Amino acid sequence: MTTIHRKCVPFTPLDRGLAKCTVALVSAGGVHEKDQEPFNIADELGDLTFRIIGGDAVFSDLMVTHHHYDHSDADRDINVIFPLDILRELASEGFIGGVAKEHVGYMGYTMQLRQMYEQTAPAIAVQIDKKSKADVVVLTGG
Amino acid sequence: MRGIPTVLITVGPEASRQMRPPRAIYPKGFKIGNSLGRPGMRDLQKKVLRDALVMLTEPAHPGEIIEREYPEYAA
Repeated sequence: MTTIHRKCVPFTPLDRGLAKCTVALVSAGGVHEKDQEPFNIADELGDLTFRIIGGDAVFSDLMVTHHHYDHSDADRDINVIFPLDILRELASEGFIGGVAKEHVGYMGYTMQLRQMYEQTAPAIAVQIDKKSKADVVVLTGG
Repeated sequence: MRGIPTVLITVGPEASRQMRPPRAIYPKGFKIGNSLGRPGMRDLQKKVLRDALVMLTEPAHPGEIIEREYPEYAA
């Protein structure tokens, strides 16, 4: 497998308070909506695609397809890896400004690390920037 | 694109450290698949998420993974 080393850290400062921020989730935990194509777990190289998850999705809309960690807890309560319900609570309390209309799930396992880094990740960033219009992103793994 | 502030919640700190994330929190002792806690532990899940979000507003340590203790996870 390719090893990628980062020499510098791509740091973006936050220019406003959390109460004015729309927040999006990006999870490598294999989360997607039930009516979307599952991630391809048959391909040992992994799956470089991602799924867009609606900000109003509820537990019964979501599922996990990922064969490289035990997601039985997420199957019972998706918030253990994809805390969309909790984001909504924090928004209703005014702790954050709002919940983004679109979030992202992908399967964070790949033997094609360079393609994941150079193609999938920038495509997710464009999605967040142009479509979700989120001010900040919370990243989770499995 | 000017860049998007991010914060990572990781339960695999050794793997995450290699990518030198700009901001990252490791809830100490949480197992893979339990990034925010166990099923139904809503208060704990919320605390972890709030702590992660607050990291966006605090002086940062880019590339470092900040370890936090949540004793209620083990209870």
